[in-house]
Amino acid sequence: MEAEEVGARLRERFPDVVVEPFPGTAGRIRFPAARLIELLTEVRDGLGFDHLGQVGAIDWVEERELFYTVWSDRAKQYLFLSTRIPAGEPHLESLTPVFPSANWHEREACELVGITFDHHPDLRPLLTPTGYQFHPLLRSFRLHEPEELEVKVRDV
Amino acid sequence: MGSVSAAPTALRAATNAEMPLPMITEPAVSFVEIETLRAREFVPAAKEALGSMLSEQAQGKLIRPMFNWAGRNSLFPLHWGLACCAIEFAAAFGARWDAERFGVVPRSSPRQCDLLIVNGTVTWKVAHKLIALYEQMPEPKWVIAMGNCATGGGPFRTAYSVVPGVDKLVPVDVYIAGCPPRPEALLDGILRLEQLIKERKE
Ligand code: SF4
Repeated sequence: MEAEEVGARLRERFPDVVVEPFPGTAGRIRFPAARLIELLTEVRDGLGFDHLGQVGAIDWVEERELFYTVWSDRAKQYLFLSTRIPAGEPHLESLTPVFPSANWHEREACELVGITFDHHPDLRPLLTPTGYQFHPLLRSFRLHEPEELEVKVRDV
Repeated sequence: MGSVSAAPTALRAATNAEMPLPMITEPAVSFVEIETLRAREFVPAAKEALGSMLSEQAQGKLIRPMFNWAGRNSLFPLHWGLACCAIEFAAAFGARWDAERFGVVPRSSPRQCDLLIVNGTVTWKVAHKLIALYEQMPEPKWVIAMGNCATGGGPFRTAYSVVPGVDKLVPVDVYIAGCPPRPEALLDGILRLEQLIKERKE
């Protein structure tokens, strides 16, 4: 499957998404965050990308970017999707109803980049200790002196 | 650590409620009894038993040295690999260095161990599990901090999730420097610990 084909099949229902070619994959889709569930459902059922491999997040200071990697077992191809949300209000619908494997990836993005996923079944920290107050992969995060960190973790 | 001793009961209750499996039976010795047993020091018990047979002086010359001799020649470390240092830990028990000739045999349960070798980076996430393992080991027990990570955080000292030295969590007897320390260094650390045990008084 090529990027043109993906674009053609999505154009009618999703005029607001942009499909670009990406070497070695079925393409790369940029979409508005509000259409996440709809688009990913279509990608899974309509285009046959049945496996969600990765959910990640990047802090671009004014915005935060969420990216999703899906894999089609029939076409043996990856498809990349990404969306941007304003940093002031970093929350987004959870993808777990469509792909249950998004669960842990979203927990990780929540604790490390500080994105809240609405309607997530269980948004506990996955990697950082309970009560940890920082989002370490934000660009505003600075390295702490160990003593400082210890006190903050223990205080909770 | 009250929460640690409470955990197995709570866990068992939850499992039973969700799926009552016929295999799950009550253990012969309850958790509380084990906790009481393990806290009993050998030396006072031996003194009590041998008190009528030996003079005070003979007791001092016999019981503690014998106990130290036995203890230092059968150190059982916990088989618990944390990070890259665990590879050197494994090598030390392989054919070339063969730590078992000093009576050091890794065991898989903390209840059979008297030595905790912290061989790797300890994160805050795993910190309370480390404390739980330490608490489950019977007395008397020793801790070796192996490598820079366990000693003081190592290369990750300023990282956001790493405990800057395992002595923040449990008392440490021997520190081994290196990233990672070679198996010889680990053996040296164990021999130093044996020396410490040899000199152990009441
Ligand atoms: S001291 Fe070095 S080798 Fe050992 S766990 Fe730390 S980083 Fe790995």
